[in-house]
Amino acid sequence: MGKIFKTKFTTATMVLIPVCIGINYLGKLFASLLKLPLWLDCIGTCIGACLGGPVIGGICGAANNLIFGLTTGDNITLIYALTSLGIGLAVGILARMGFMSSFLKSFVCAVGGGMAAVLISTPLNIMFWGGTTGNVWGDALFAATQASGMSVALGSFLDEIVVDVPDKILTIIIVYLILKGLPKKVSALYDENAQIERLD
Amino acid sequence: MKSISLYVDQGSWLNKMHPYTKLLYILTAIVIPLIGGEFVLFPIMIACSLFLLASGGILKRALPLVAFSFTLIVVIFLIQGLFNHSNETVLISIGVITFYKEGVLFAAKIGCNILNMLLSFGVFVLTTSPQELVDELEKSGFSPRFGYIINSVFQILPQMIATKDRITDAQRSRGMETEGNLFVRMKAFLPLISPVVMSSLINIRERAIALDVRGFGRKQKKTWLYDRPKYKWDPLIRIILVLLMSATIVWRVLLCR
Amino acid sequence: MPIITIENLKYKYPGTDRLVLDGISLSIEKGEFIGIVGQNGAGKSTLCQAIIGLVPQFYQGAYGGKVLVKERLADQVKVQEMCEDVGLIFQNPFNQLSGAKDTVYGEVAYGLQNLGIEREEMRSRIEKVLKQLDIWQYRDRNPFDLSGGQMQRVAIASMLVMQPEVMILDEPTSQLDPEGTEEVFRVVDRLSKTGKTIIMVEQKLEKMAKYCDRLILMHEGKVIDFDTPEKIFARDDLEELGVLPPAFVRICKMYGWSNPDGTYPTTLEDTVRLFEHQETLPDLSQNLRKEKKHISREQEEVFKTENLFFSYLKNIPVLENFNLSLDHRTTAIIGQNGAGKTTFVRLLKGLLKPVSGSIYFGREDISQKTVAMLAGKVGYVFQNPDDQIFKYHVIDEVMFGPLNIGMKPEKAEAEAKKALEMMGLSGKENENPYDLEIYERKMVAIASVIAMDTDVVILDEPTIAQDYPGKKRIGEMIRKLSGEGKLVIVILHDMDFVSEYFERVIVMAHGKILADGTSGEVFKMNEVLKEARLEKPYMTQLFERFVAE
Repeated sequence: MGKIFKTKFTTATMVLIPVCIGINYLGKLFASLLKLPLWLDCIGTCIGACLGGPVIGGICGAANNLIFGLTTGDNITLIYALTSLGIGLAVGILARMGFMSSFLKSFVCAVGGGMAAVLISTPLNIMFWGGTTGNVWGDALFAATQASGMSVALGSFLDEIVVDVPDKILTIIIVYLILKGLPKKVSALYDENAQIERLD
Repeated sequence: MKSISLYVDQGSWLNKMHPYTKLLYILTAIVIPLIGGEFVLFPIMIACSLFLLASGGILKRALPLVAFSFTLIVVIFLIQGLFNHSNETVLISIGVITFYKEGVLFAAKIGCNILNMLLSFGVFVLTTSPQELVDELEKSGFSPRFGYIINSVFQILPQMIATKDRITDAQRSRGMETEGNLFVRMKAFLPLISPVVMSSLINIRERAIALDVRGFGRKQKKTWLYDRPKYKWDPLIRIILVLLMSATIVWRVLLCR
Repeated sequence: MPIITIENLKYKYPGTDRLVLDGISLSIEKGEFIGIVGQNGAGKSTLCQAIIGLVPQFYQGAYGGKVLVKERLADQVKVQEMCEDVGLIFQNPFNQLSGAKDTVYGEVAYGLQNLGIEREEMRSRIEKVLKQLDIWQYRDRNPFDLSGGQMQRVAIASMLVMQPEVMILDEPTSQLDPEGTEEVFRVVDRLSKTGKTIIMVEQKLEKMAKYCDRLILMHEGKVIDFDTPEKIFARDDLEELGVLPPAFVRICKMYGWSNPDGTYPTTLEDTVRLFEHQETLPDLSQNLRKEKKHISREQEEVFKTENLFFSYLKNIPVLENFNLSLDHRTTAIIGQNGAGKTTFVRLLKGLLKPVSGSIYFGREDISQKTVAMLAGKVGYVFQNPDDQIFKYHVIDEVMFGPLNIGMKPEKAEAEAKKALEMMGLSGKENENPYDLEIYERKMVAIASVIAMDTDVVILDEPTIAQDYPGKKRIGEMIRKLSGEGKLVIVILHDMDFVSEYFERVIVMAHGKILADGTSGEVFKMNEVLKEARLEKPYMTQLFERFVAE
C-alpha cells in the first residue's frame, strides 16, 4: 500500500499542480468552445494523479476548487472540492495499480473516478440543494424520479451517475490519449523510483 | 493581461481588513442560520452581507456572482415545488401544474442558503488579493511550497488561456474543422487541448529549474518585503464575530433542552 | 585557484544511451568571460546545467566525474544552495519568471526572500540591480506583460540580485527579436565589466568574439578546443562542426589576409584595421552581393491588396490604406515587433478579416473567405511549434494537414516524407515530436505545412533558435519551394539571412511599407532602416566602411 501512495514533493511536482489546474480550466474552455455536452473540467486533475500519484491528484483536485472558489466567486465549486479530491485520489490509486496501462484497462479507472465523484457529490447535492446537480439532463431525470415517488437519495444518485460517469469516461479517454504521447523527458521527471547512476 | 481574480483595490475598509477576519465573517454568516435553525436568520445574514458589500462600494460587482446561481435556484424551486415528498398544501395551480407550499418553502430555504453563501463569499473574494492572502498564510506558517501553487495559478492560467486562440488558428490553418456535427467537434477536442497540455508539461521543467536556481524550497525561514499595515478594528471585529457564533450555539443548546 | 574545475565529466539523460557529455575536463579562472560554441545538440546547455548541479540532481540519469565550483561538488550540494554562487539564465524568458509574483519588483525579490535576506538589504539590492539593468521604470508592472527583451532582463536581474560569483547565460537572446537582443547585450556588456565570472552560450558569434576571453568549442558532447576567439575562429574545421565563423573572419579568410599570428580579425574594428594595412583593396561589392537577374516571374501576380484597412481595436488602425502586390519572388518582410507584419500575413491566410478593402488571391477576392477554404492553397507556419503539435509520432503530425485537406493517405505519407527529408528529419519519423528539442520541433512544424503542398507558404520567424546548419537548411528549403513555382513569404529578424536568401525585401513600420526592393537596394537605405529600427547585415556594414574611406 505504501508504494501506491508514495509521493515525491520535488519542485517539478509543485509546478505540476498549478499547470494541472490550468489544464482543468482549459478543458472546460475548449469543451464550451466546441459546444460539447460535457464538462471535461478535470483532465488536469487526472493528469496530475497519473503522473504524481494519488496524493498529488487529490491536491490538484482540492486546490483547483478551493482556488477558484475563493477567488473567482464561483463558490459553488468550493463545496465540490471534496469531490475533486476524491476523483484525484481514486484515479491516482487506480493508475498506480496499473489501470492506465492500456486503453481497455483505463475504463476501470474511468468508472472508478466517476463513482468516486458520484459517491461524494450525491450527499453534497442533497445537503445543499435538495438533490439537484445543476445539469439540465441530470435534473430532468431527478425531476422524473421525484415525480414517480422515488426517494431523494436514490433520485439524486441517479442524477449524479448520468451526469458524472459519461463525463469521467471521456475525460479518462482523453487523459489516456494524452499521456500515451507523453515525452520521456516529462515522464522521467515523475518517475518515483528514479536514481542517479554513477558512471565512474 | 486580464486577471482571473475578481479582486480590486479600492482602498475601502474591507480592503484594509485582514483576510482572516473576512474568512471568519464567512464562517459566521454560514454557521449562524444553519445552527440557529430559524428561517429568519437567513434574510438577516443576507442583509448583513449586502450592507457590508454596499459599505465597501462593491454591491454592483457582486451582482454577477448572484446572477450566476440564478438558474440553479430556479431549477430547485421547480423541482421541489412540484415534486417534494412532503408536498400537501396547494399553493397555486396553473393548469395541470401544481405548486405546493411545503416544497416551495424548502426551496426558499435552499435558495436563501445559496444566496447567503454567495454574498458572504463576495465580501471576501471582491476585496482580498490572492497574493496578500498567500503572504499572510505563509507568515502564519503555511508552507511556501503550497503558497506557490496558489500564486502561480493566477500567473500561469492567463498565459495558458492566451494560447487558446493561437492553437485554434494553427489547427484551422492546417484544415481542421471546429464546427459541424457533434462527431466533428469531438474530434477537434484533442488537437486543441493536446498542444497546450504538452507544452505546459514541457515548460514545467524549465520553470522548476528557474525556481530551484532561486532557492525555492530552502529549509531556512523566508523574509518578506512588506508588513501588512495593521487595521485597528480587526481584533474587535473578530471578537464580535466569535461572540455572535457562540451566542447562537448557546441559544440553540438551551432551546433544545 | 580556478573558480570552476571540471574533471572527466560524463552524463547520460535517463532512458537514453548517448553520452551528452563525454569526458569533459577544463577549468575556469575567476573573472573570466567564457563562451561556449557549437551546433545544437553539442551538449552546451547540459554543460551549463552541470555547473550549477541541475545535471544530475534535477534530471537524474547517469553521471560520472566531478564538477567543483568554489571547492563544492556540484552533484552533491543542493541546487537551492549552489544558487548562492552560481546564477543561471536560459533561452525562454517567459519560463524563467517564477510565476509567483505579480510585479517586477516582487519577482526580483523572490530569490532573496527564499535566501532569507533582511528587508533593508533586499530593498537596496533590488533597486541597484533594477537601475543597473535599466528596468527600474517597470518595477510595478506585471512581469508577464513585458516584452521578451524586458522579461529576459528581469530574469537576469532576479539572478544578479542574489549576487552569485558565476553567471551562466544559456542563449539568452535566441528567442528574442533584434531590439530585445540589443537590450540583453547591452546588459551583458555591463556585466562583463563587473568582474564576475561569466559563461555564455550564444549562436551570434560576432557578439561572442566581442566579449569572450576564451571560447569552449563543443561537438557531440566533447570539448574540441578551448582557446581565444581568434584561435578558435581560425580553425579550418568549423563548418564541419556546425559553426559558421563571424562574418569578418569569413571575409578575411576569403582574401587570405590574416593577423601576424595566423589568426583572423573577429570584430569590425579589427577587420578595418587589418584591411587598412593591405596594399591593394579588392572590389568588395562584386563579392558581397551578386544580384541575381530575375526571369519573367515578376509579372505573375499572386496576391494583391487594395486599400486594405485593419484594426483590432476601434480607432487604432494596424494597417491603413495598404496596397501591395506579391509575385512569385521569395519575399522577406522585416521590421520591428508591432510593425504589422504578422497581421498582414494573417490577413493573407484568412485568419483575420479586413475591416475594409480587398485581398485578391489570383483573380479572386478572398477577404471574406474562411481559413478552411484557403487551407489547401495557403500554408502558414506559426512561430511557436508547440501551439500545434499533438500527435505521438512526427510522421503523423506532418500528415495531419495533408489528410485534412483531402489528400489520399498514400500521397499524404509521400509528401510528409519528402517534407521531413527537406527539413533534415529523415529517420525521426517515428519519434515523439515532444521528445525532440525545440529547434527540431520547429522543423516538424515547417514540414507539417510544406507537406500540404500549397501554392503559397508563409513562415513566421522560422530561424529563431536555429544554429548555422539549421538556418542553412531553411534557406535551401525556401529556394527549393520557390524553384517549384511556389510563393514563399517569410517574416524575419535575421538580416544576414534575409540578404542571403531573398529576392525581394519589404520593410514595414507602423502598419506601412517603408521600402520594397532587392536586399541590396533596401539595405542601402539608411533613413528607412533607421526609421524601422533595423540593423544592417554584417557584410553590408563592412562593405560600407570601405566605401566611406
